[in-house]
Amino acid sequence: MHLSIEHVGKRYRGDFWGLRDFTLELGPGVLGLLGPNGAGKSTLMRILATITRATEGRVLWNGEDIARTPDGLREVLGYLPQDFGVYPNLNAVEFLEYIAAVKGIEARAARRRIDELLVLVNLTEARKRPLGGYSGGMRQRIGIAQALLNDPQLLIVDEPTVGLDPEERVRFRNLLSDLGGERIVLLSTHIVSDVEATATDIAVVNQGRLLAHAEPEELLRGVEGRVWEWVLPSADLPEARERWKISSTFRRADGVHARVVSAVPPSPEAEPVAPTLEDAYLSVLAGHRGERLEKVA
Amino acid sequence: MNARRSVRMVGHLMRADFLERVRRYSFLVTLAATVWLGYLVGAGKIELWIGSVRGAYNSAWIATTMALVINTFLSLAGFYIVKSSVDRDRQTGVGEILATTPMSRPLYTLGKSLSNLAVLGGMLAVLYVAAIAIQLVAGEDRRVDLLQLALPFLLLSLPMLALTAAAAVLFETVPGLRGGFGNVVWFVVWSALIPIGIQLGGLLDPLGINLVNRNLEIAATAAFGPAKRGFVLGGIEHTEPIQIMRWGGLDWTPDLLLTRLVWVLAAAGVALAAAVFFDRFDPARSRRGARVARQRTTGATEEVTSTFVPMPAVHLTPLPAASRRFRFLDVLRAELRLLLQGLRWWWWAGAAGFVIATLAAPLDVVQKVILPLAWMWPMFLWSSLGAREIRWNTTALLFSAARPLGRQLPATWLAGVALAVLTGSGAALRFVATGHWNSLGAWVVGALFIPTLALALGLWSGSSKLFEVIYLVLWYIGPMNQVPTMDYTGATPTGLAQGMPLVYLGVTALLLGTSIAGRRQQLAG
Repeated sequence: MHLSIEHVGKRYRGDFWGLRDFTLELGPGVLGLLGPNGAGKSTLMRILATITRATEGRVLWNGEDIARTPDGLREVLGYLPQDFGVYPNLNAVEFLEYIAAVKGIEARAARRRIDELLVLVNLTEARKRPLGGYSGGMRQRIGIAQALLNDPQLLIVDEPTVGLDPEERVRFRNLLSDLGGERIVLLSTHIVSDVEATATDIAVVNQGRLLAHAEPEELLRGVEGRVWEWVLPSADLPEARERWKISSTFRRADGVHARVVSAVPPSPEAEPVAPTLEDAYLSVLAGHRGERLEKVA
Repeated sequence: MNARRSVRMVGHLMRADFLERVRRYSFLVTLAATVWLGYLVGAGKIELWIGSVRGAYNSAWIATTMALVINTFLSLAGFYIVKSSVDRDRQTGVGEILATTPMSRPLYTLGKSLSNLAVLGGMLAVLYVAAIAIQLVAGEDRRVDLLQLALPFLLLSLPMLALTAAAAVLFETVPGLRGGFGNVVWFVVWSALIPIGIQLGGLLDPLGINLVNRNLEIAATAAFGPAKRGFVLGGIEHTEPIQIMRWGGLDWTPDLLLTRLVWVLAAAGVALAAAVFFDRFDPARSRRGARVARQRTTGATEEVTSTFVPMPAVHLTPLPAASRRFRFLDVLRAELRLLLQGLRWWWWAGAAGFVIATLAAPLDVVQKVILPLAWMWPMFLWSSLGAREIRWNTTALLFSAARPLGRQLPATWLAGVALAVLTGSGAALRFVATGHWNSLGAWVVGALFIPTLALALGLWSGSSKLFEVIYLVLWYIGPMNQVPTMDYTGATPTGLAQGMPLVYLGVTALLLGTSIAGRRQQLAG
């Protein structure tokens, strides 16, 4: 199973490019697609899910162009859109049975699968309740269940943990990790910790372009020795933010502990620390924006 | 809250809502339809007559004709066009933001009414320009009097449109009138307003027909002597010679102005009455919303009490390749369930009642009354065809499944046809039993036509409203009022004799093609 994205671009009205010259090769595993809001992640997801067509370039699923023969991919596709709805008068089982029928899954197999999925997404007790009464998190879990109905070979999930409580989020991350072994999973999010927990590969996207595609370890190696913890007085923080790339801060009795991503130490007192994926991600974004990761003169 | 602040609030509410609407593609379609209405007047397809007398095409005559056309047609169509402003706030979530502001309920409903009026006023402006063009093209009187052209628009039409605009807001706020049932109720109200206004006149004549009729009768008598003359607004073939008079327009006396002002005040009253019913987007105030909120609360409670749920050891059984076998019947069954889900016992009792009535009543009554009624009963179910994917935002889920055009769409359509067959089955049995094969053929065409019309209109408009309105009008004019060309059920002997079922079969095929094209366009993104 192989997904090949070749020089894909998507132009919207007003000559705005949501995606430009995007190239990526994917095999089994979980690809975490990271990028700020409006980076082009959802555009890419919609193209890969055959919802919208690329303006230029092509996407090949096992060698077949998905724009020409979308049904080949659709048979084995699971898609959880960022924004989706449900029919409020149907209950969970009825809704999933409906989607299963539309996806062409034989009724008996669908029923067994639905039972398993409802346990998996922790909705067994609410299975007979109309979806119109579901909370946002419960609805999101129904979305996850429908995406897994046809045992997809390509699973595309766009901001899947939105609305989930912490426990459900952990559960879903584990699920994605398990699923990634035998299929291609595309996880789009701007929550770095979700990717950190699940992804075998990471792609960083911004302004419609692919900035980096690497294994998490490789991205981390890229910022090795460039992350510092610096304790400074609270009053100095605003100025420090202007001069340095600060990935996080937390307050302690001795002052503000700031994590600084920089090629040089922000101060002689700053201590080098082990980088996190968040540091690496910010470093890639900063590099794309042309920001210098050293002291601003 | 001071008056200046209130005016500013209402003004901005009206402005934002108006801009949001006029920047939609659908507004262009609405304007195009308005231009077409103007064309019908200009081309003489809709004319104003008092017997065989009409006025020369001067500013007063054309503007008055146009104003009556607006009052008659826009008070119906305009209502359906603007009845969505509160719902839009509800759907987009903007309503919840507005609910947290100091804006009062009367200010909100007043602002929405004014926004509705602004939209209808835009259409009015288009027709005002059209009236000038018509006068110049007709060439019977080239002296364009802008005031005489404006007065009927402002004094005859604007009060009626203000009432329509406010009524649309009222219907959106009163529980039970928000949806399709409200659309039917307005149709009934509108149908009653015309004869009541014509008969009684005065303060009970919001359309102004009686007012104009009385004035024209006096003018026609003065010009050509007394005679029995009927009022006509529409197309008519004259057997008698046509007489043309010079008419200078209505004399807007204070009394006359008062009769129109009353309707402006009534419109304001209706807009403020809407505030009484307006739930300020609080789901707990509506029965359905309260149910949903209660269910949500129940769900939330369950979630909170189970603060730690150990990860279930679930193994997802791999789906064997053999189970990925598409069966059309499964999708059809699922679509039927979706269509019929949530129906209450009284709906089924009503449908069964119509079937029993068609089996028991005289055949003539079955054809002219009971079958049309039986096929009106499921209107709100058909109206979801083609539109519900947009309405409930499930397009991404459905369109990413294989062959959405070849699998889901035909199943949706057939589910609609099955509903027509089910609700009209009694009549079909009667036609078979009595050997009325032509009527049976017409019945088959009707059973195919109705859901196809619903599907096509739902797909292209993304809403159930367009079908509900068009189908209601078609049903009222065709089967119920026995107009053969509009008879899609074969209820009129003339329609059958003229081969109308064949025409409707052709229209059905065309609508089906349109539906496929519509879904194809949706799939293309």
